[in-house]
Amino acid sequence: MRDTLYYFIMVPMVYLAAAVFVAGLFFKFMNVMLSPRIKGRLGLFPRRLPRAAGVLKDAFALPPAFRKDKVFWALIIAFHVAFVLLALGHLELIREFAFLQIIPHQVFLGAGAVGIVLIAATLYFLFRRFRTPWREISVPEDFILLLVLFVTMIFGSHMHLAARYGIAGFDIPLEDYRAYLGGLVSFKPVIPDMIANSPHYIIIVIHIFFANLFIMLFPFSKMIHSVFAFSALSLKRK
Amino acid sequence: MEKEKISELRGLMKTRLNRPMRYYLDLCTRCGLCYDTCHVYQGIPKKEYSPVGRSEVVRRLFKKHFRLSGRLFPYWGDAAALDDAVMDDVYEAAFSCTGCRRCMVHCPFGIDIPHILSMAKLMLIGNGTAPEELVMLADMAVEKGESVEVFRDGFKENIRNLEKDVQQRLGLASSEGLIPMEKKGANILYVGLSGAHSIVHPAVIFNRAGENWTLSFFEGVNFGAFAGDPVKMDLIAKRIINEATELGVKEVVMVECGTAYRILKFLTGEHPFRVSSIVEVIHRYISEGKIKVRGGAISEPLTYHDPCQLGRNGGIFDEPREILAILALDYREMSPTREYNWCCGGGGGLVALDNEQFRIKSGKIKKDQIAATGAKIVVSACENCITQLGTIQTGYGLDVQVRSLTELVSENLDI
Repeated sequence: MRDTLYYFIMVPMVYLAAAVFVAGLFFKFMNVMLSPRIKGRLGLFPRRLPRAAGVLKDAFALPPAFRKDKVFWALIIAFHVAFVLLALGHLELIREFAFLQIIPHQVFLGAGAVGIVLIAATLYFLFRRFRTPWREISVPEDFILLLVLFVTMIFGSHMHLAARYGIAGFDIPLEDYRAYLGGLVSFKPVIPDMIANSPHYIIIVIHIFFANLFIMLFPFSKMIHSVFAFSALSLKRK
Repeated sequence: MEKEKISELRGLMKTRLNRPMRYYLDLCTRCGLCYDTCHVYQGIPKKEYSPVGRSEVVRRLFKKHFRLSGRLFPYWGDAAALDDAVMDDVYEAAFSCTGCRRCMVHCPFGIDIPHILSMAKLMLIGNGTAPEELVMLADMAVEKGESVEVFRDGFKENIRNLEKDVQQRLGLASSEGLIPMEKKGANILYVGLSGAHSIVHPAVIFNRAGENWTLSFFEGVNFGAFAGDPVKMDLIAKRIINEATELGVKEVVMVECGTAYRILKFLTGEHPFRVSSIVEVIHRYISEGKIKVRGGAISEPLTYHDPCQLGRNGGIFDEPREILAILALDYREMSPTREYNWCCGGGGGLVALDNEQFRIKSGKIKKDQIAATGAKIVVSACENCITQLGTIQTGYGLDVQVRSLTELVSENLDI
């Protein structure tokens, strides 16, 4: 029973999550595209930059956050940069990419610091919501998403730190992760013995479970801001 | 609330589900950066008056009535079903917002919250709980467009009387043709308001500039937009668009009314004529030497209040400042200013409603801003702002005069 459950999380659920993610994004995209355009322009002034440059500046430098709350801004930037670095790190868990090794490094980049930064930022975002006035404007989704991220990251970070710094029994080599994730990507799923027989297998299963959950929630939650932000910011400058 | 009513309101919500509305409703992360950026919240610090608080009222309904997740797991996003109590919240959200879009400047995603609240306003019309004053004024404006012949002669007679005032101000021998009407092929169609001042002062300026202009039969103000009725908004705007097209004018110049300017320039599609604000035209005349104003005519400290619809929503920041830089010896800038300027609290049709105490409270931050400059004269270029600034001035006993930019220019023309 336990093996079946673990296998379900490690393999079918990953495919399910990927399918829900892609279909969900497609649904959301079509939902917008099939809605009527507005005939007017909703832009704001002044516009000191060309439209595309302005959108990129707004999206990646977050000037409104910088003006308002520098600590919050720094943590938002740290969170998003770390998120991208972790996504790239996971790519390297599938196979080696030469372009990612321009700066030679051991997988993952940052020797564990990236995960810690992400966890710290997530906790800041969570605790910030416990305070007035942000408590009043928050809805359960806001807390649950942060908790799902926190759990995913804490277990992911544990796996990485433990392996990198040689914590006893946690010596799953990179090749086995590559065998597992590479197998998923090539639709020949396999769970290598080094993972399945590891005493820490449950840590991996929990990490994958919450990651799956997060990926499935992505298109149907406020995480869609990562896509629609560009549409809204573009309209702001039209 | 009856099932039929819920279904009707849901239908109305659906008509507003355009592309921006879809992503505005989906992408807010409730980061709270907009929380205290609303002037109403500054005066009355309640969640209901924060931009995110207002948009959540609509978002919760959207989730419940248009999202499977909202129907299956309302807890997840705090989805709310339509009922009478919720409609009270919808009213509070929609008619405490002036549509100034200061929150949009502070939103990292640029969410247009007044655009979200346009859905709320339409639902209130469907529910029969929209402000009667605005609905009635919108109906009257639409009716005027449909039966222009009925009032044409009476209006012309009134204008003949105003011409005498213009004649006096210009010191001319005759008042004949000082306010032309129905002039085909004129360069400019000027659209005023119902108040005489909105016609007399621009007429003085147009005549001094030797402009080939004509006066519109209609007022610029758009109560359809204030009420939140997109059909009436279009009908009211179309009166002017049709008039301008029939006369074949090159440019429509809008009175000091921010909303009227923004609607015609940005919210009604492309036109075969240019749309300008009277402020831009005055600036142009001064730059081209067509009119001259008395330099340094005003010695008392003076400040300028950016009307939200002309400033951050219309891009007119420099023109009024350059005009005032000539007129005033002691010009003082408010802080924050330009796109960050605080709304006075009069927009969105709020000055037409019986809500003076609310507007005095919500105007507190504007009062503080004006007082901090030490100015004795506050100039603006929007009828709503001028009315509301007057309310703030009397409400707080502020020692300032509130003046219209056009009036100030007209009174200080170097004739």
